[in-house]
Amino acid sequence: MALVDGQDLMRSARFRKEREADWRHLEQLVLLAESRGLQRMDFAQARDLASLYRQATTSLAIAREISLDKALLGYLEALTARAYLCVYAPQQRLGGLVSRFLTHGAPRAMRRSWPFLLLGFLCLALGVLTGYLLYLENSDWYYVLMPTELAGGRGPDATTESLREVIYGHDTGSHGLGAFASYLFSHNTRIAIFVFGLGVFACAPAILLTFYNGLSLGAFYALHVDRGLGLDLGGWLSIHGVTELSAICVACAGGLKLGTAVLFPGDRTRVGALRHAGRDAVKLAIVAAIMLVAAAVLEAFGRQLVQDRSLRFIIGWGAGALWLAWFTLGGRGRR
Amino acid sequence: MILRRWKNRRRAGPSPDTLMPPEGVALTLPIAGVGVRLAAQITDILLTTIATVCLIVLLAVLDLTDPNTLFAIAVLLFFFIRVPYYVLAELVWNGQTLGKRMMKIKVVSHDGGPLTAHALVLRNLMKEAEVFLPATLLLMLDSASPLASLAALAWIIMGLLVPFFDRYRRRLGDMMAGTHVIHLPVPILLKDLASEAPVLGANRKQFVFLSHQLDHYGAFELQTLEALLRGQSLPASDNSARQRNETIQVIVEKIRKKIGYADPIPPADRLRFLQAFYNAQRKHLEQRQLFGDRREDKFYAQADQET
Repeated sequence: MALVDGQDLMRSARFRKEREADWRHLEQLVLLAESRGLQRMDFAQARDLASLYRQATTSLAIAREISLDKALLGYLEALTARAYLCVYAPQQRLGGLVSRFLTHGAPRAMRRSWPFLLLGFLCLALGVLTGYLLYLENSDWYYVLMPTELAGGRGPDATTESLREVIYGHDTGSHGLGAFASYLFSHNTRIAIFVFGLGVFACAPAILLTFYNGLSLGAFYALHVDRGLGLDLGGWLSIHGVTELSAICVACAGGLKLGTAVLFPGDRTRVGALRHAGRDAVKLAIVAAIMLVAAAVLEAFGRQLVQDRSLRFIIGWGAGALWLAWFTLGGRGRR
Repeated sequence: MILRRWKNRRRAGPSPDTLMPPEGVALTLPIAGVGVRLAAQITDILLTTIATVCLIVLLAVLDLTDPNTLFAIAVLLFFFIRVPYYVLAELVWNGQTLGKRMMKIKVVSHDGGPLTAHALVLRNLMKEAEVFLPATLLLMLDSASPLASLAALAWIIMGLLVPFFDRYRRRLGDMMAGTHVIHLPVPILLKDLASEAPVLGANRKQFVFLSHQLDHYGAFELQTLEALLRGQSLPASDNSARQRNETIQVIVEKIRKKIGYADPIPPADRLRFLQAFYNAQRKHLEQRQLFGDRREDKFYAQADQET
């Protein structure tokens, strides 16, 4: 039996023989598009990719009808799926990603989620107030509210002198990168990540955690006010605390945004609501991360260098004003 | 009852593996399971850990910092290598990290469009909240605070269980970002069995099958036979070659009995017989399909009667 020009082949074999060269070509183009990206392919190649992809989908439709060759079907399924991803889901351009986030994305997201930010700050403020009042009522509350590893020996039985020594102390043992690292991974960063992470699962833990953080801060502050060191501690805390505590509130707002989307999705499905809320929440999380890094820099390098109380206030609240300016003024104007 | 309703809903929708492109021909993009993604994840964690350890060793050798803060720096470095690694790798390789490349899986957008930077950043940031944070929490647990441990455990279990209840095996981060993970299909075109011209010796006769002999089997049996024939070209050791021969013999006898092929097949011709039968059967089934008579398997006649 001689095979003259495929005359004697069965339908599916003939079908394959006629198109195989095109499939092979498409296969090469798909590999090229995946390794180099569609944008860097020349015009003829990109055009061929699109048209060959369309031909391959037709081939697949026909093969599903006529062919019983499993290997051929599997090949066409895989080839068209790969080509589809190249044609319809190409790689996005990455240029300008960071600057776009800094100038437009982040400030707009912050402004859009102002109710949540307000709620976050409110949680912290209420916590501080409660802790403060509780301490004034009975100083034993301090032991309840303040985690021991954070207090570092600073309690109601410490002398005023030793408290002052900590605020204006010169050596804490570490400088530079090491200090930066340890401050960044201090208590507050962990709180911020927890507050955001817990917000996703439900709002309540995030709110409670922020409130609790405020409680210990309030008790700590009341202790110093009690000893007449209120203003000094204010300066000591301001230099990085303005940024750091705001970062916690921002993270809390991001978590709350996600949590409310899960709890009260409204007309959307829960997944849809999460997707919608995620657009802003992720920006809030990144902003919180940037602020935490900035706070760690201020704490590691600024706190030891700047000993003057009023200068500490100026630096701390100045940084706060800069953040505020970014959030309120950035990204306005034409879209 | 809830379980049944859930199962019904699961069956009702179209298969999660299919995707309808604008061309209108359904494509198959198989969803990657939890196991293969875990393997990719472990690979990635190993890679980032190795990078961190190298940097730490370098820092220690150069004596840039004092040993007390080395641990804090190690944590910091791991964090600052890990987070950008996932985001940048998926941005640069369009949805694949090194681990995912090795496992041949890929992140795709849920609606089939391009992957946005926002989606990739979000799904990887959520990985911190979902996987790494609970994991570090688990490492730092102490028995002194049972309440905290329980809460942490509940959190971890909740996060890890989400993919098992989702049709697309999505994490929470995937849901938010609108992505899911697929197996990247690998196109391999094998030779067409039917186009291989049978080698005919001078004194070898040709196998001829009659139409009624080909009416016994359907597409499923044909494709099983195809898999068997393709397997013959693979190299085999002595032992498995003998086993293979026995299988072939059994199958040839079975087919011969079923279709009523009278002549005995000599051992040397068995493969040739199967090859010829495959060709004839495929030709026959294709012919039938042309007339609108699709035969899925050998029970096609009964299925016709039932409907």
